[in-house]
Amino acid sequence: MTQTQIIAARLALLAAILAAWALLPKYGVLDPRLLPPLGDVLAMLGKQLARSQVQEAIGVTALEVVVAFVIAVPIGAAIGVAAAEFEYFGQIFKPMLFYVFSVPKSIFLPMFILIFGIGFPQKVAYAAFSTVFIVIMSATAAVESVKADHVLVARSCGATKAQILWRIYVPSMMPVLLETLRISMIFNFTGVMIAEMYASRTGIGHLIANWGENFQMPELFAGVIMLSVVAICFNEAVRLLEVRVSKWRT
Amino acid sequence: MRRPSPSAVRWMLLAALLLLWELMPQTKIVPELFLPSLSKTLTVLWKDRVEYAENLLVTLYEVGVAMLIACGAGILVGALVGGISVLRNLMLPVFSSLYAVPIVILYPIFTAWFGIGSESKIAFAGIYGFFPVMLSTAAGIRTIDPQYMLAARSMGATLPQQIVRVIIPASIPTVLSGLRLGGALTIIGVVVSEMLTASAGIGYLVTRYRTILDSPHVFAAILMILLLSILFDLLARAVERRTLVWQTAGRRVPSAGAATSTTRMPAPAPV
Repeated sequence: MTQTQIIAARLALLAAILAAWALLPKYGVLDPRLLPPLGDVLAMLGKQLARSQVQEAIGVTALEVVVAFVIAVPIGAAIGVAAAEFEYFGQIFKPMLFYVFSVPKSIFLPMFILIFGIGFPQKVAYAAFSTVFIVIMSATAAVESVKADHVLVARSCGATKAQILWRIYVPSMMPVLLETLRISMIFNFTGVMIAEMYASRTGIGHLIANWGENFQMPELFAGVIMLSVVAICFNEAVRLLEVRVSKWRT
Repeated sequence: MRRPSPSAVRWMLLAALLLLWELMPQTKIVPELFLPSLSKTLTVLWKDRVEYAENLLVTLYEVGVAMLIACGAGILVGALVGGISVLRNLMLPVFSSLYAVPIVILYPIFTAWFGIGSESKIAFAGIYGFFPVMLSTAAGIRTIDPQYMLAARSMGATLPQQIVRVIIPASIPTVLSGLRLGGALTIIGVVVSEMLTASAGIGYLVTRYRTILDSPHVFAAILMILLLSILFDLLARAVERRTLVWQTAGRRVPSAGAATSTTRMPAPAPV
């Protein structure tokens, strides 16, 4: 199949799913109380976005996501680079990181609540905590993706340390670094959402959990659609960048 | 002086961590409310062992069913998507885009549909574990050395023979690493959903004792979940090592995670 055919097929699939969502509940095939028709959900989304309470919640959530990201990425990157560049340090910590990965971070949420309360600092602290491990791991992978041959060639041509850093390390690591940013953003976003759903007074996650408990399905689906669209758009934007900066490799 | 071996340092770190857990609360460096001492946590765990065991059983039941669903559906869909090139080109990029959506926001929908009993946890954790299993199965089937298939076909193997003798054995390592990740994710999914809304299970205990600020009980439950996920990981690794024997005994060690960048395994557990 050619590229255009694939895209056409995907769009057709998406259209079919959306049409089913719009029509099946309307004609009583599915219970509209459980799955409100797409049209109702979109109308509700517009109505909710106009409410000042929802706008405020979006602002709080966005700020939490950004602050947690800004805290987690430099810390994780520093530890990750250290684990890749200093062999002994890496030998000690890398196997531990794998175990840390198999442990659910969310069970430490109560600890964060006991220490920070349920306000803004707790959300940021928990999201940064749940993000930092994936940053460490990807930063290690980024440094290791630099080919030793390239460094060797540069050094034999008499490149200085700064030149090796800028001409070899940075371009080699760029695609992996962008991927790191992308995946850690997924983790970070999920962390903020869980923290807000678990115990909170504001934020989109709190609203979604509330709508679910009160069985307000149109509102709930509107929230889910909004968050999904934001997450997917960010993800695809960074992926496009990734493809661009890794072109030189092929 | 020679440096101690990395694994010795790791055990020392673990011992130091446990020691700090015991001493810091006792010497009041950290308030008991934030971190009750290890001995106190263990005493509480032993005292209420019946309650913890009953809730552990609920959690284990949910994890078991969710794992069956995640692995069964994941392997089936993964095999289809990995084996049929039309489906692969069509669907794989879509799945990796969907991976960006925090699945936890779907949980309120499941509680509205299935109630707050075990069903909603199983549905949520099943979906949570499904993606890594599906993606790694697809990658496992895709990265089979084409020479194996060519050799089998030129010797006249039928399709069922190709599947049983070539495709399944050759894709097992990648599928198993996906199962390990998927299994870990189902445990996480069950615990998270129990913490959010539930009426039983270890995660429910965490939340219930947290709301009445009873931190020794909270940490006892946390300790149990930690042990559960580490035990699962050890078990899964042991199974993986055993099944890999036939491959590493041969000439060439195939790289199990050799997925290309388009189908790279998703990073584990965003929770």
